[in-house]
Amino acid sequence: MDGLAAYIVRRLLFLPVALLVVSFATFCITRYGPGDPISVYSGQYRDPEAFDRVRHKYGLDKPVVEQYGIWLKDAVLHGDLGPSFRYRDRTIPEIIGPKIWVSVRLGVYAFILTFLIGIPAGILAAVRQGTWLDPLVIGFFLIFQSIPILVTLPLLVLGLSVKLDLVPPGGFDGIFTRSMIIPTIALGLPGIAGVARLARAVTLGTLHEDFVRTARAKGLDEGTVVVRHVARNSVVPVMTTVIGLSIVGLLEGALFTETILGIPGIGRFIFESVNGRDYNVILAIVLLMTVAFMLANLVVDIVLAVLDPRLRTSGTGAR
Amino acid sequence: MNNRLVLAAGGVAAALIIGLAVILILVIGGGGGSDNGGNAESSGTPSSGKTSSSGSSQDNNSASAGELRVRGADPLFLDPAVAEDADSAVYIVEIFSGLVRLDHDLKVQPDLAQSWDTSPDGMTYTFHLNPKATFQDGRLVTAGDVKYSWERALNPDTGSVTAENFLGDIVGAKDVSRGRATDVSGLKALDDETLQVTIDAPKAYFLYKLTYPTAFVVDQKQIESNPRRWTLKPNGTGPYKLKEWKLGERIVLQAYDNNVLGAPKLKQVTFELSGGSSLVDYQDGNIDVTGVGLDDLESVQDSSNKLNAEYQTSPRQSLDYIGFNTKTAPFDDPKVRQAFALAVDRNKIADVVLKDAVPVANGILMPGVPGYTQEDKTYPYDPERAKQLLSESKYAGNMPEITLAETGAGATVGPTTEAIVQSWKQNLGVEVKIQQADAATFFQDIDQARYQMFHLGWIMDYPDPEDVLDILFHTGSRQNSTQYSNADIDAKLDQARTEQDTEKRLAIYQDVERALVQDAVWIPMFFDTTHALVKPYVKGYDFPPIVIEHYRDVEVDRP
Repeated sequence: MDGLAAYIVRRLLFLPVALLVVSFATFCITRYGPGDPISVYSGQYRDPEAFDRVRHKYGLDKPVVEQYGIWLKDAVLHGDLGPSFRYRDRTIPEIIGPKIWVSVRLGVYAFILTFLIGIPAGILAAVRQGTWLDPLVIGFFLIFQSIPILVTLPLLVLGLSVKLDLVPPGGFDGIFTRSMIIPTIALGLPGIAGVARLARAVTLGTLHEDFVRTARAKGLDEGTVVVRHVARNSVVPVMTTVIGLSIVGLLEGALFTETILGIPGIGRFIFESVNGRDYNVILAIVLLMTVAFMLANLVVDIVLAVLDPRLRTSGTGAR
Repeated sequence: MNNRLVLAAGGVAAALIIGLAVILILVIGGGGGSDNGGNAESSGTPSSGKTSSSGSSQDNNSASAGELRVRGADPLFLDPAVAEDADSAVYIVEIFSGLVRLDHDLKVQPDLAQSWDTSPDGMTYTFHLNPKATFQDGRLVTAGDVKYSWERALNPDTGSVTAENFLGDIVGAKDVSRGRATDVSGLKALDDETLQVTIDAPKAYFLYKLTYPTAFVVDQKQIESNPRRWTLKPNGTGPYKLKEWKLGERIVLQAYDNNVLGAPKLKQVTFELSGGSSLVDYQDGNIDVTGVGLDDLESVQDSSNKLNAEYQTSPRQSLDYIGFNTKTAPFDDPKVRQAFALAVDRNKIADVVLKDAVPVANGILMPGVPGYTQEDKTYPYDPERAKQLLSESKYAGNMPEITLAETGAGATVGPTTEAIVQSWKQNLGVEVKIQQADAATFFQDIDQARYQMFHLGWIMDYPDPEDVLDILFHTGSRQNSTQYSNADIDAKLDQARTEQDTEKRLAIYQDVERALVQDAVWIPMFFDTTHALVKPYVKGYDFPPIVIEHYRDVEVDRP
């Protein structure tokens, strides 16, 4: 395990470097982009001199590098990510915390849906390899992967809400409510094909393993072999691989889903923050995503290394 | 190794089972107490026996008799001196108040001040505060509170971009807003109940400006004890207290019964800040009032629709217009501007594209603004004359490239803009490109005069012609986004500022309006209109033409 520990430490040490680069790049992109928060939030009264006074108040008239220095100092020494220009009376964690929590729970639902359908479908396709069922199952879910979320969403609302009146058309009134059904389906559906194909590939490999042959030789019926031996060994690698890489995809989907359905999550909020040039909030969200993405990948690597000694001994984590 | 694998797989299996259970709960048990409204069709959902399945699901739909539920948007923050967005204004006008207010006919009425005297020269106002005027924590409002509030709004550290606009007429106000003083010399608290205000010229619209949130009263003690976060639970003087504000979810306003103008009839207003289609929410009975968008308008206006009985429409003091940069080619030539104005068939666009949802503007001043007349001051649709004027202009035959700027996401151009640009192409043979930008980029271009023409709206903040004609077209105004400069018009605007005879004053503004429209600085397009549905059990709800307090007299008698 020594090799693994050193590997983890090395990866973690890289995190601050990545954050520094990402934060500086984001800082420059937002500051040098057109428009600024003072001007956006000033409505129809366009008084340039008054704008300048307010910019001065927030230090926005200083050179960008100096502004970055101030921001960095506050962030590192005091954990203060700066003021939000939109919601000036709240701290940034206060603003984005609840929104992230909404999106995380929605994302977990979508993951569950994806795996609940994707893994059995992939195993089924693998077991029935060579029959018509194999391409049919995979092809069926590939259709959903190919349809953009912008198309599935209105169709789901039309079908489940307007026609059948089973669920509310949008909004958010708690996580254990029927209003979460449409976003869960919309977010979860596109990922099923990927999981199913991966599960199929892994299962095909497993089907030819010695222990499967042994299980069959013991005289176990085929159902037991698939469920207790094959499936068990397919589920873990599929889940670990997919979760890390899906975080970015989920966020992308959340942007559309939350904006269209009016769910107060982080996806919709990024969109609003960029439109409002809320510099510090944009920066905070980008940094958070960077951390989430890097940590998720690290966890995936660790799990895979634990599972597969070949990766562990080669040390550098060949991903 | 194998053991670990089995353990991991077992864990995953357990997770999957828990997940399945969650989904089952979600599908079957969720939703808590659903619909008062859609009971008739709710055969698909088990409405009984599952009510206590999860503690976390809030029961939104049970509303009390004195409560109104509407759709709202998150305010930015509730500081009346600083907030300048329409979303925040909706709440600020209910939570805070000022010396004077506008009633539903947009007349100035007493609020925290019960009366006021004006000196014969029209330059000194003496306000007598109502001795019953209190903050929501019960403390009496004094003249000193008003003085503090205004000086705070003007102080550059407060960061208000509107303070100079609304309070700048007071003698000494600009010294404070530009950091040269902290006290406004024209403001004197003679005693706790008397405030004397001296302005720099006898301006008839001064009282109107005091009805705007920048002039509202805030609590010095609260602000000084909690300078950054007092707006989360502001201690205002208005008819409603901020009871709850969950960012992105819900805002609840609760009646302040000791308000100086009496206890509000409506005890609670709940604003739902999230959700999908508000029309569907309205039909499901989750909200009591909803706006109606263009797509649903025709069906709601159809008298055979059962919603038609709940349909209300009312004018807003807001104008949609095309503005020209009068300093840039080709619109520095008035003939080009006039040709562009003549070439647009606004009646047809209103009819075909906008389904007659809004009236065609007949000038700059909207109905209800003093000085508004029925006379049509705008250019009629006349493609022949348009062509002729264009050929007489100095850009005939060498028309530069023209771009129209507007706000938008960039994906699709609004059908109205499309129709306008199409009629220029058809009638003038001039190809106009459309440049859409998000608000931040668009306004930066407007502020720096980097545009040829733009499509925008103007919303009145108080019902006086000065609020549009002087602010936007005077050469000296910093908000003159058309770069228009006309010595004759400037002289008239100066004269109107201090004219004491109301009729003469309005006549001057009418002259100015006519001249601006004839000079085609703007093409006034449409007057804005509210289209909404109000449940029959909601009484006394109306839609004021500008953003003012309006929940106080609403009565909800839910069946």
